[in-house]
Amino acid sequence: MMHLGGAESTLFFFGAPLSVVGALALLFARKAVHAAMGMALCMIMLGVFYIAEQAEFLGIIQIFVYSGAVMMLFLFVVMLVGVDSSDSLVETIRGQKVAGLLLSLALIALLVSGVSKATFATGKGLDAANAAQGGNVGGIAQLIFGRYVWAFEVTSALLITAAIGAMILAHRERLTPKASQADWSRRRIREGVNVAGLPAPGVYARHNAVDTPALLPDGTPSDLSINRVLKARGQVYGADTQVAVSKEIETEAGDMSDANRGEQR
Amino acid sequence: MIAAATGFSQTKIEYAAVVPMLVIFGVAMLGVVIEAFVPRRLRYVVQVAVTLLGLLAAFLTLIFSARDHKAVTAGGSVVIDGPALMFQGTVLVLSFLAVLVMAERFDTPSIDAFTQSGASVPGSPMETNAVRLGATSTEVFPLVLFAVGGMMLFPAAGDLLTVFIALEVLSLPLYILTGLARRRRLLSQEASMKYFLLGAFSSAFFLFGAALVFGYAGSLNFGTIAAAVSAGSGRDGILIPGIFLVAVGLLFKIGAVPFHSWTPDAYQGAPTPVAGFMAACTKVAAFGAFLRVFYVAFPGMKWNWQPIVVVVAILTMVVGAVLSVTQTDIKRLLAYSSITQAGFILVGVVALDRQAVSGTIVYVITYGFATIAAFALVAMVRSGGNEATHLSQWAGLGKTSPVVAALMALMMIAFAGIPLTSLFTAKYAIFSAAVGHGGTWLALIGVIFSAVAAFVYVRVIVLMYFSEPTGDTVVLTPSALTGIAVTVAAVLTVALGVFPTPLLDMAHNYSQFMR
Repeated sequence: MMHLGGAESTLFFFGAPLSVVGALALLFARKAVHAAMGMALCMIMLGVFYIAEQAEFLGIIQIFVYSGAVMMLFLFVVMLVGVDSSDSLVETIRGQKVAGLLLSLALIALLVSGVSKATFATGKGLDAANAAQGGNVGGIAQLIFGRYVWAFEVTSALLITAAIGAMILAHRERLTPKASQADWSRRRIREGVNVAGLPAPGVYARHNAVDTPALLPDGTPSDLSINRVLKARGQVYGADTQVAVSKEIETEAGDMSDANRGEQR
Repeated sequence: MIAAATGFSQTKIEYAAVVPMLVIFGVAMLGVVIEAFVPRRLRYVVQVAVTLLGLLAAFLTLIFSARDHKAVTAGGSVVIDGPALMFQGTVLVLSFLAVLVMAERFDTPSIDAFTQSGASVPGSPMETNAVRLGATSTEVFPLVLFAVGGMMLFPAAGDLLTVFIALEVLSLPLYILTGLARRRRLLSQEASMKYFLLGAFSSAFFLFGAALVFGYAGSLNFGTIAAAVSAGSGRDGILIPGIFLVAVGLLFKIGAVPFHSWTPDAYQGAPTPVAGFMAACTKVAAFGAFLRVFYVAFPGMKWNWQPIVVVVAILTMVVGAVLSVTQTDIKRLLAYSSITQAGFILVGVVALDRQAVSGTIVYVITYGFATIAAFALVAMVRSGGNEATHLSQWAGLGKTSPVVAALMALMMIAFAGIPLTSLFTAKYAIFSAAVGHGGTWLALIGVIFSAVAAFVYVRVIVLMYFSEPTGDTVVLTPSALTGIAVTVAAVLTVALGVFPTPLLDMAHNYSQFMR
């Protein structure tokens, strides 16, 4: 067995539990964001181990590409879909979870028993390889552009396929020219509906945003002043509370309140 | 950093041997460019023409260049030998027919099988709008070509890394194509999702296995692995799980039980011509890769893997044949039929000799033609605007459209392995390989379950000819594209059954793996 240096074993004994914690968090976290953060932790720790094992290039790439790019993209998607949304965890097939757990434990037992029986030669480290190729980068370049150049080139087909797939399944092709402001204006006038455009959202003493409906002359909130997406999501701020608050402020200030108005006259 | 101590030596690639694959990948990329620059109304014609010409050109280069330049090339990543040439040629011919079927438009202005707007929500106004404005989905042709490229590399790969990349290159386009059906789009998208998740899972198994094998042999190259296996070491503990995990990845693509669960769902949801393409061509490529991995890299471990393949073969035949009896949907029936047929091929694969290789080649060729034609015929039978896939809708088809019913009956007879059809030849070739190597009892099980499976096929024939037509099932008149594909497949199905010798001889001549 190769002997580990003091610093390396210390790093390993602190780092290994951390990466296992990250991996377990990925499995057991209830919220998608926590799972993603757990996975990022696991990935970063793996990168640290690679660096400790003389594969600096691989370690840096691991942190840059997996933790940096892939995981952050994943987090963006989670945030866009909605942090709160979680998938149904109800079993559709009875006993599936238990059976799956038992089978995976069996697989783990099989692999662990197999791998633990194997005897390995003494580790060589990367010194010789790094010296021969002038470091990590040279060594990997030698393999990618030398021995495995065909595999490397064919990977491009994979990337093109992935790009086309994303375009087909997610890109909504524009089939008609986009309506300009002038087109909208002409259409409004031709149809005679909302000729001056839709009403702007309401402005109140304490609130002034697109989610607050404007009030019509008779005091009812105007549906037209609110974006339909906000309405569909149920994120519209009630106009009633705003009106009440406005009235209260006006009363305290001693002007314009209905009660005072008559006395002042 | 220190300057590189050793200079960089370029890996020599025997271009004359790999030119068919280069043609396919090149034409696929040309297809992407066409998609970007050719006006929408011309795209269909241009894409179909370019794809078909590309497949033809690749086949010609295969015959006139690669055939005379058998080589282990690209540093050992690619091995162009007899079986590789046979499997590559088979993939090219079968995918030519599959593309003809996929390009079918019937009487509509766009491709019939594929949705016009994959990104829109099924049934949404946007989808309606896309149909009204004549959106196209001609991207499927470059995708098919990328899949074909992967399928050509899969049986020709000379190391585990290239096998893995070829596996992904062939799978990824298929995942996308599965989700693009024009009708019953939710079912199609669900099928695509299932196929993708299970496929990714099986790829992970393969990768895990490849890592363990690398840990054993210190190399990914099949030749070096075989040498390390015969030299032996104290690390069998990682080699055996490694071999089994690699086998899981390959058996998944083959569709063998217990890794078959995706097959019925994916075939049912996929656009019907794509299901035919998957059933025919994926099987060719996957068996090619399976044979190369187990015959070239692991022959020294045959006492360990042969029993497992025997068990998988029996399970595949039993589960495929028994479950196909209970199916009521013609596409699911064909899916279970493809599982059963995979079991029959595995019976021969166990034999580990040249006869098994040539038997497998004959089987995948004959099965490929029959299955592409069968799925093309399924796509023609309609009811209420949808494909009439329920078996009851096929009742009395013999009276209402005798030609389609007769062709379907021919394919069913072929699947059943009745003499004078091509699959009888194939079954004979594959079972005699098993019998020749002490697998007589296995071949016997194969024959028994051929009979069970034959019951299903006969049931379809009886339904078509001896029931009264019900409902509003109509058969669309196909254009020359499907017409040619089905005719060629039907003629070959009969011809290879009546005159099997040329195919058997050719398969035998090209059955020697280069090590």
